[in-house]
Amino acid sequence: MRSPVLPLTWHLARSSGRRGLQSQLLAAGAAAVGAFVMLVMIAACLGAGARADRTAWRTPDADRNGTAVQALATTYVRHEPLTVVSLAQLPGRPLTPAPPGLDAFPKKGEVYVSPALAALLHELPANQLADRFPRVRSYGTIGAAGLASPDELVAVVGRAPSEPAMSRTAAEGASYYDQDQAARAVVSGFSSAKRSLFTASDQAMTLIGVVLLAMPVVVLSAAAGRLGAARREQRLAALRLAGATPRQILAMTAVEAAAVGAAGALTGALAYVALLPALAAIPYGIGSWYTGQLWVGPAWLSAVVAAVTALITVSAVSMLRQVAASPLGVAQQANPRRTRWIRVVVFVVAVGCIFRSTGGGGQLTARQLIGLLVLFYGAFWLFGPWVVDRLGRIVGRFARRPATLLAARRLSDDPRGAWRTVSGLVLAGFAAGFFSVSQIGADTSQYRDQVAVITANAADARQAATEARTLLGRVGVTATVTVKGEDAYDSLLGGSPGVIAHVPGGTDRIDTAVTALTPLGTGHAPYSQDYATAYDRTVVDRIAEVSTATLALSFVVATASAGLTAAANVLDRRRVYGLLRLAGTPLRILDRARTRETVLPLAVLAGGTTAMGVYGSYQLNKAVGATIDTSGALQLLACVLIGALAMFAAIGGSRPLLRRVTADPARAAD
Amino acid sequence: MNTVLAGHGLVKKYGSTTALAGVDVEVGERDSLAIMGPSGSGKSTLLHTLAGIIRPDGGQVLLRGDRIDNLGENRLSALRRGRFGFVFQFGQLLPELPAEENVALPLMLEGTPRRQAVERARRWFAPLGLDGLEKRRPGQLSGGQAQRVAIARALVVEPDVVFADEPTGALDQNTSSEVVRLLTSVTREQGAALVMVTHDADVAAHCDRILQVRDGRITHHSQYTVA
Repeated sequence: MRSPVLPLTWHLARSSGRRGLQSQLLAAGAAAVGAFVMLVMIAACLGAGARADRTAWRTPDADRNGTAVQALATTYVRHEPLTVVSLAQLPGRPLTPAPPGLDAFPKKGEVYVSPALAALLHELPANQLADRFPRVRSYGTIGAAGLASPDELVAVVGRAPSEPAMSRTAAEGASYYDQDQAARAVVSGFSSAKRSLFTASDQAMTLIGVVLLAMPVVVLSAAAGRLGAARREQRLAALRLAGATPRQILAMTAVEAAAVGAAGALTGALAYVALLPALAAIPYGIGSWYTGQLWVGPAWLSAVVAAVTALITVSAVSMLRQVAASPLGVAQQANPRRTRWIRVVVFVVAVGCIFRSTGGGGQLTARQLIGLLVLFYGAFWLFGPWVVDRLGRIVGRFARRPATLLAARRLSDDPRGAWRTVSGLVLAGFAAGFFSVSQIGADTSQYRDQVAVITANAADARQAATEARTLLGRVGVTATVTVKGEDAYDSLLGGSPGVIAHVPGGTDRIDTAVTALTPLGTGHAPYSQDYATAYDRTVVDRIAEVSTATLALSFVVATASAGLTAAANVLDRRRVYGLLRLAGTPLRILDRARTRETVLPLAVLAGGTTAMGVYGSYQLNKAVGATIDTSGALQLLACVLIGALAMFAAIGGSRPLLRRVTADPARAAD
Repeated sequence: MNTVLAGHGLVKKYGSTTALAGVDVEVGERDSLAIMGPSGSGKSTLLHTLAGIIRPDGGQVLLRGDRIDNLGENRLSALRRGRFGFVFQFGQLLPELPAEENVALPLMLEGTPRRQAVERARRWFAPLGLDGLEKRRPGQLSGGQAQRVAIARALVVEPDVVFADEPTGALDQNTSSEVVRLLTSVTREQGAALVMVTHDADVAAHCDRILQVRDGRITHHSQYTVA
């Protein structure tokens, strides 16, 4: 006999009316947001890896029998890194293949530049940038295959093997600050697995963002599964009473939720695909993206759609266990859903472990820190509903106004539901607390207005100083040039012999000085403070960027979650709201109660998680010997303000719905 | 009869359908009026019009001689909150509030401090046979108990008129009889008027008068002598 599940589900879905359709649309909307956010973060993670791989050719594997010499240098213009790859074909050796992005191996004197660098060369005076390269009539163009980002500044310069820029002294640890910014090797091709300094940490950082966003997306999907729960429970309880088996009930729910979830998730996936060009324009690390880098591929796309659909389905089915267990399950749901003390016990044990690990002022290992973060994360998932329950009871005891009393009683009536509503933003608060102070402090003031030139020895340094004064005077830069020996570790030279030019006047002057001093020294490019702090700054910048992106997306998810849950509550409770309004209860009281039942736990719990995030971040900073960036406080403040505004907006979004569902008091039949 | 609430020439149309076609009705102090009629007859529309929930297309509604059908929504809302009480078939109690707070809610909405509101609410529990149920939530009450809590909530503001829309529709016959007996007697003791819509003749028989409504018109008006 043919199963009645599918036709009956379809019939009930079609006949559920406008409000049933509203619930389904809201659920689908939640699924769409969840799928979209996860796809964006996965795309960023995979894309960061893909584009980092595109930088590997700049430090190819060495080959003793190679055919060419490759030297990597990094110089800075307008504080942005400019990667210079110098290539020299070795005489008498077979021709070296073309590097990625070029049609042929560059001949001596040829200069290829990335489109972004070409634009900058056109924009800036030659004495600030172009004069760092051999003079050419026209520049060749590096294709996308050789670039990680359309915004990347890269130059490939064809040279003779004997030129200073190709010498051993030009790279290979000439400066304490080189740290993957300079390298040299004899090569026979461009295969390598070594990613550039400026992209190496991108993927790991985005992975943290993915992990932090995963839970809010799960919450959002679960909320979507619960949308219209009351309507569905009543309907299916009636079916159960009419003789439907628990299996049929669960199957019908699963089919409906899966269909709605899949439709929503597919919509989110389509939105992701449609918005790829716009997403690619969002800068991260070295700049914007090539659209193809953010394409996750059909496998990931399908996996995310399937995962979000599965989450919604499981959530919807789990809500019906009570109905399935007993036909009177809904009617008998009389007692408030209390939370147990075991939650607070587990939380206290977790916090005790944390304090025991961090007590005594000792620094934590990376593994301990990760464990600590997971503990914080998990503990709050247990602790949250308990706090909401107690909060509801305390506020309920002292509430003087009806709206506050209603909100408090609702909190203690269903603390898990209230927790789910706010958990997204509570976790966003955790992320904000964690990342906003995780700005590991790179000292950016010590070597300001300085340009360093490395020389082979102290005698050369004195000679170089004289030449530097001449070169700088020629381009109109007023500078104080000092000579440093090999013992001057506390300088921009970091212990290398050379000269330091003190160049007041800002970025343009520094760029002009770097350009003017390029011919000097051992072939190692002159450098400024940007070069010395690049390693730390790369980490700092990535953390800041990922934290901003994670926060922004967390707010998107959490706001959607809160808004949808608020709307679902209005739909599920429309009868009682309608009758209260009919009996003269002002709409604003109902509205205030709805707002307070969200804002109360948000304020208490978001504050708690934010403080924990700050503490965890403080420990992380301590572990890497860094100081906390106080400017993070501003970011945190902005986060809280945006969170509050988003929450009010999300709840306010369902106000017209509340007005509409309570505006028809005469709907009862005569 | 000292008239509390009156409707004169009440007309209400929904598109081409006439729900009320010039109805006249009066209710006095301690008076109880049952409105009966088949489905779609206009009985609920009449109750909602008298209660200021629906604005009539024609005619007037007077509460103690003052017109109320032309008041703004806010004043009507305040009127319903402070001078009317409502008992519905089911689902009017907030499930998360204990019974005493459900009863106290209208007083709190009127500005009564919470402690006083709850104290006043508790006074209604014994007369309505709800002693000991003050802390229970609606889900922990039987249907009859929940309706008695609803009656307490309707009466706690000491209204001029109590409107009841199928108040026993979800109850069994014995419980129905008990609830409606309490509703009429307590309302009368309070000096309030009662306007009740019901389809159950036994329930209607507890009222002083019965209006039969059909096609938006009063077709029969009977009067009982209640002992």
